[in-house]
Amino acid sequence: MTGSVKVAPTARNDRRDHLVGVATNQVTILIGVMVILVGIFSLLEPKFFSVPTANNILTDWGSVALIAVGQTFVIISGGIDLSVGAIVGLSGVVAAWTMANGLGLDQTVKGADAAPGLVVGALVAVGVGLGVGLVNAFLINVLKIVPFIATLATMGACLGFSVIISSGAPIGSANDFSLISAMDPKANPFSWTVLGVIIVIAIAGLFLHKSRFGLYTYAIGSNSFAASAAGINVKRHLTMVYALSGALAGLAGMFVYIRLGAGSPSSGTGRELDAIAAVVIGGASLMGGIGRIWGTILGALILFTVQSGLIMIGVAPDWKKVVVAVLIAAAVSAQVLQNRNGRK
Amino acid sequence: MSGELIYEVENVSKNYGSVVALDGASLKLHAGEVVGLVGDNGAGKSTLVKVLSGAHQPDAGRILLDGKERHWGSPREALDAGIETLYQDSGLAPHLTVSENVFLGRELVAPGLLGKLGFLAKKNMAREAHEDLERVGIAVPASSRSISQLSGGQRQAVAIGRAVSWARKVIILDEPTNHLGARQAGEVLEVIKAAKAKGLGVIFISHTLPHVLEVTDRIVVLRLGRIVMDAPTSEFNSDRLLGTITGSISAAGAEGE
Ligand SMILES: Nc1ncnc2c1ncn2[C@@H]1O[C@H](COP(=O)(O)OP(=O)(O)OP(=O)(O)O)[C@@H](O)[C@H]1O
Ligand SMILES: [Mg+2]
Repeated sequence: MTGSVKVAPTARNDRRDHLVGVATNQVTILIGVMVILVGIFSLLEPKFFSVPTANNILTDWGSVALIAVGQTFVIISGGIDLSVGAIVGLSGVVAAWTMANGLGLDQTVKGADAAPGLVVGALVAVGVGLGVGLVNAFLINVLKIVPFIATLATMGACLGFSVIISSGAPIGSANDFSLISAMDPKANPFSWTVLGVIIVIAIAGLFLHKSRFGLYTYAIGSNSFAASAAGINVKRHLTMVYALSGALAGLAGMFVYIRLGAGSPSSGTGRELDAIAAVVIGGASLMGGIGRIWGTILGALILFTVQSGLIMIGVAPDWKKVVVAVLIAAAVSAQVLQNRNGRK
Repeated sequence: MSGELIYEVENVSKNYGSVVALDGASLKLHAGEVVGLVGDNGAGKSTLVKVLSGAHQPDAGRILLDGKERHWGSPREALDAGIETLYQDSGLAPHLTVSENVFLGRELVAPGLLGKLGFLAKKNMAREAHEDLERVGIAVPASSRSISQLSGGQRQAVAIGRAVSWARKVIILDEPTNHLGARQAGEVLEVIKAAKAKGLGVIFISHTLPHVLEVTDRIVVLRLGRIVMDAPTSEFNSDRLLGTITGSISAAGAEGE
């Protein structure tokens, strides 16, 4: 018979851990924070609790949620992607340029006639994002540049290209596309584009938490040597992660195009920081290995609830930055506390 | 007692920049044989392990499995060839659960289309991981706990269990008794004997010389990246082994096979 390496009894510990886990669960806390925020803002400004407000928040949320979901994969894998905001601008500009100059899509095109052009535009936008993501992966995997610097470089390049292509001004006013207005019915908080975002996020979440792709993302962020020793092709996986992040940023670029009715080079500026803030508030660790899709979704929602609430109660929007800073600090210290309670 | 030659390295060298970690080391491993690999800190044992496991590519030298020359481009290729390795440290992903670590790189997927998309059969993995570890003789906490919540010894138990339950030909254990109490260390030695009895080739690395003398058939001594002694365990006692490791006993004439 073989020996057995025995360890302490654990069933009871597991149950206790489970209860502690639910109570200190990031998602539970975030939902609590969200409810409190909505409560405070509604008390201070009853108009806050309304469909138009929800619609505004969700529409702002949509584009950042898309890039924050990509960022969640990147951060869980132990990296960071600073280029996503610039990708939003670049992909929107390139898509707008293609639709305006390549497909002759202008104000004279109405309704369903615009649909094929918009689909092509969306494919172009996603393609641009995917391409930049692959460049990021090349810089990180092949040239061994740390993700922070690699994606900072592509961020600069994307900003530059989008200004060059657009000559600095927004391309194409698509405000008259009746299709676009049909797609963005203001009265409904779940406009079609937001619904599309939610579907994309749901699929991404399933892959993150239920599939091998997600498991490898966690494994690499947790211990990339162990992942590679277990037979995982770490470089190939990271390539897919950065490509995904880029592609989602491209999709966000199209989302912003549809909102603005134009491709603007500056439309994504600073969005990468919103996305990183959302991911961190959502409980992910910049050290990698930790993070949940629900956390990111709620993190982004909290971000824009604060933004819109502050505006509605008449506080200068700059206070948003202070509130976000407090939320980030709270999220990180919550993590530290959790670590002290036995998690490493 | 030992079967045929299964795994062999010839004259492998490996530098890390200007550090010569391995300098023309050779080693042979037979089926059903336990080879002890010993040497001072920094002698190059873990580097040799990484060459054997495909984690590092040697700068020079040959690797032969079942008499055929192989070049491991990645750990995956060595794993697929039946070679399992327990690394000295950092062999597990701390944020993953016990069962995810046991199955990492060899996940079970759901049936049908979901499986093709890479969706996992988590329940099956949790159950099988538990069974695998128990079969090896290792009792670990629930499969659903994350490695970071385990003690050093419990982690070591998971890592050993994973290596032993997957190994088909060769199992390489780099200081498997690290972090373990006296009784658990003794149990690891039993696990090694069981692997040997199954006909696996085992490479066992340890600084605890009584363990090495107890469980191995042959002992290979590394010093500064070179093999200074390779002889049947019966030719050693603890003084002679210690002397060879530190270099106070010259190994003249004992070099090579
Ligand atoms: N990744 C690395 N980069 C640079 N040098 C390294 C690296 N890994 C090992 N070395 C060096 O190579 C030599 C051999 O190291 P190795 O880890 O193989 O020793 P070891 O025999 O396993 O020692 P220990 O008993 O302490 O585990 C040492 O001089 C070490 O400093
Ligand atoms: Mg070592």
